[in-house]
Formats: sequence, C-alpha cells, structure tokens
Amino acid sequence: MGVSELDATFTALADPTRRAIVARLAEGDATVNELAAPFDMSLPAISRHLKVLERSGLISRSRHAQFRPCHLEREALDAAAGWIEDNRRTWAERFDKLDEHLREIQRGPVGDQERKAR
Amino acid sequence: MSDCRPEAGELVFTRVVEAPRALVFRCMTEPEHLTHFWGPAGVSAPLDQITVDARPGGVFETVMVNDADGGEYRTHVIYDEVVVPERLAWTDPDTGMTTISTFTDLGGDRTEIRIHQAKVPEPFRSPQAQAGFLTSLDRFAAYLGQLSGR
Repeated sequence: MGVSELDATFTALADPTRRAIVARLAEGDATVNELAAPFDMSLPAISRHLKVLERSGLISRSRHAQFRPCHLEREALDAAAGWIEDNRRTWAERFDKLDEHLREIQRGPVGDQERKAR
Repeated sequence: MSDCRPEAGELVFTRVVEAPRALVFRCMTEPEHLTHFWGPAGVSAPLDQITVDARPGGVFETVMVNDADGGEYRTHVIYDEVVVPERLAWTDPDTGMTTISTFTDLGGDRTEIRIHQAKVPEPFRSPQAQAGFLTSLDRFAAYLGQLSGR
C-alpha cells in the first residue's frame, strides 16, 4: 500500500460518521438505507460519506445486486492499522542502531573528538 | 519542555541513550551519522543520498535501501523547526504528518529522545496503536468501540 492510498484511508477514517459506517460493515454487508438508519442524516449525505470510503478503497459496492450493498475491504483496513505498527518498529530499530552507533563513536579516539566537539 | 509533553491522541516513541545531548542532536542532523542508523533493521541509508538542510524550510531527504532485494524507499520532509540541540520538527508534504523530535538532557551523559508524531489521523492515535496492538481487524474494530463483545 503506497502513501497516497494510506493517506486516503486515514482521511476517510478521520470522520466519526465514516468510522461508524466502517464499524457497521465489519458486522456484514449493508445497503445505503441500512447504513443511514442510525444517523440523523439525509441519504445523499450518507452517500457522500460512502463515496469517500469507496475512493479510499475501504469499502466496495456491488455493481450487480439491486440495492448495491456495501462491503468492507478488510485488507485495506488491516494495511492502515499495520502502518502504525510498521512505523513504531522503524523507530525502534533506528534507535537500536543509533544506540550502537553512539557506543562506537564514544569509544576510542573518535569518541574523544566527539566529546571535545560538544 | 512543557510543549513537548505527549498529548492524548498522538503517537510518541521514546528512547534513552547513553550519550550527551549535543552528540545525539548531531547524529540526527549530520549525514555522516545518519547513514549509520537511519535505515531500520536490514535497511541501509547510503551517505551520498542523504540531504540535510537543517533550518526552517530546509529539506531532509534520505533513500533507504533494502539490503535483501535492493528496493529503494525515498523520504522527503521539510524542517519546520530546528533548535540546537533540543528540538527538531519536520513535516512530510505528501501526508501532512508532522514529526517532532525532542532531546532531553537527563544528566550524566544520558539523553532521552522523544519522537512525537502529530496529525496522525485520529483513529490511529490510541494507546493500543502505540503499543502496536492494532495488527488485526478485530482489534481495530474493538478500538472503534462499536463492536463490543466481538
């Protein structure tokens, strides 16, 4: 998943209504009417939220079934959640290497120079 | 340092290293040092492809090369703030995500590094996210708080 897709996913999930829609779809596919029911919102407003979710790749909508049920694309959601973990791991591994590097440069003549330089 | 305390809802990673703060800051801003650690495990950051212009509006660019397959990952961010030797802030223009690094002198040549990522979209800022718990849909759904009991 590239940065632009992740960005779209994050943007889509930044809105509480869209998060609620995603949560509902985690229980199973649903039509626009079913998704709109819990909200005090017009169908066009819900449709706009669905379009954002669809563009982000988080949901898909059947082209064939009569009521075009919405479907949660779990891989896209997993990818976004995984990004957090990747990011945490990148920094942890960076810090491990930095720790090692700091030990190296503070040892011996190079270390002395570094200490004098501060 | 009150401005760099973590606020609820942001990603924060910290590490204490055995080195004076000025040296740690130089490691974070000098290509000759960055090349040794900027790539995570199994990934190199070649010195000739690191650009650091450490001043507000300056660029910080790296190319990280996967040691196993040679795959390259380019990063490009713009410094917002450079306060020697205590604080660095940069923004990724592609994602809008801001990373603030603060360096706290703990005395005795020990330094705390704090990486504070702001403007991370709200659903991804939970303590669970920081702990790396958000690795499956079920956990994510639990975080959404809409699916208790699943």
